Amino acid sequence: MADVYKLIHPVKFCNDYLSRNIRPDGRSFKQPRSIKINVDSIKTAEASAVVKCGNTAVVCGIQLELSPPKAEEPNVGFLVTNVELPALCSSKLKPGPPSDQAQVVNNIVSDIVLNSKCVDLKDLCIVPDKLAWVLYCDIVCVDNDGSLVDGCIIALMASLKTLSLPKVSYDAETEEIKVDPKSRTKLEIHSFPIVTSFVVYRLNQSNIILADPTAYEEDICGGSGTNLIVCYNKGLFCGTQKFGGSNLSKDCQDDALKTAKERANIVENIIDVCIRNHKNSSINE
Amino acid sequence: MDVDESQLKDFKLKPMKCEFNVLSKSDGSAILSQGETVVIVSVNGPLDIKMQSQSIEKATLEVLCCSKGGKPCVADRYKENIIKQTCDAALLSNQYPRTGITITVQELEDCGGLLPCSLNCACLALINSGLAMRCVFAAVTCVVDEQGDIVLGPSKEQLDTARAVLNFVFDSRDKSLMTGFTEGSFSEDTYKEAMERCRVASDLVFAFYRDIVKQYSKIIA
Repeated sequence: MADVYKLIHPVKFCNDYLSRNIRPDGRSFKQPRSIKINVDSIKTAEASAVVKCGNTAVVCGIQLELSPPKAEEPNVGFLVTNVELPALCSSKLKPGPPSDQAQVVNNIVSDIVLNSKCVDLKDLCIVPDKLAWVLYCDIVCVDNDGSLVDGCIIALMASLKTLSLPKVSYDAETEEIKVDPKSRTKLEIHSFPIVTSFVVYRLNQSNIILADPTAYEEDICGGSGTNLIVCYNKGLFCGTQKFGGSNLSKDCQDDALKTAKERANIVENIIDVCIRNHKNSSINE
Repeated sequence: MDVDESQLKDFKLKPMKCEFNVLSKSDGSAILSQGETVVIVSVNGPLDIKMQSQSIEKATLEVLCCSKGGKPCVADRYKENIIKQTCDAALLSNQYPRTGITITVQELEDCGGLLPCSLNCACLALINSGLAMRCVFAAVTCVVDEQGDIVLGPSKEQLDTARAVLNFVFDSRDKSLMTGFTEGSFSEDTYKEAMERCRVASDLVFAFYRDIVKQYSKIIA
């Protein structure tokens, strides 16, 4: 019955739930979905992570490559992110070249990574002007059920945290490169950006915000994807984006910033615990 | 956070110049310069579009950003997304069901703050096109410089050396935040102060819109 009602009166269906302070999926307004993380599950990648936030599933793999640095910035390496939204992740996407949505998400993700300075690109340089690491971070969404940027950043940070770079020796005279995959040094991660997405819903002349929305909630609030993306990074904000949906009032904004802060601490702990567990289990093996 | 209104009278945004009807074949067009940055926008619509992209509830909005070099890139898609979502919120697109509206943004000169300039120019072109709108919108940029001071209407050098760049778009009715996008990192207090300052500064942009419309529509003015 509820399914029929949802199709015939989509707005009323949503309003009936939200006016009783509960969301259609049974969560309260600021309650995020549960997160599941698995690190280092892809053996062919240098570092990888699989993340599930509710039904949204994202896989991230990092590949390493060597390349001469740019002439303008001889002591800087590269970090390239690529977000892929294949047709399998949502009924709205069609196979073919990267969709607009994929390009927008990719832009947001790479902006956040660069703005937060979580990887110092100078650490990626091996020999100035000659040799530097290129980190190819491929992020593939397997199931898109809303809050895609959250999932992408969690997967990316979890992978970066487990990444270690092999030792490289470079002979300046013969230009010979020797890579020793046995001796590795961990890549230093300087900060920890965590993203929380919201949608702004207009309910009876006032606005409410819903944290970690599902794809259904994103649709009903208008705009494409989430309306508000807040990135919190150890005491500072790095990248807040608001587009589409209803306008954001001051109260809603304060609420959103507070929720984002609280969630950032929780997610950070989840990732740390997950990586620690993974290390312990691999030592036992 | 309250900002002293009198203190804000002193600053000026970058000088703005605008002209309507620069393109003869489009339904609405405007050229806008903010400082050295110049953008031209053309609006066409409501148009007949393909069956598959029609929506029975509202007009389908399409935004195309052309850079000066002419080569499309991922950053253009991001700009298009921001302009599209902002215009979508401002237009009464449910008045034109099963049609399409296209907005074409052509960069002529980029000396910093291209996206806010494009947004303002898109708004002016929409006013010129006569499409029904819920509200108009104004984009304002500010930067947080090395010392942590907030500077409105930054120059290119200030943008390049800034610790953070914050852009806000406000609507004309209750000055609430329609769109916002930032670069760099900043504290919560800085964010809120920057937003309040930009909110007050948006009045200047709305006053400018009013002047331009007065110039071109002799009857209502």
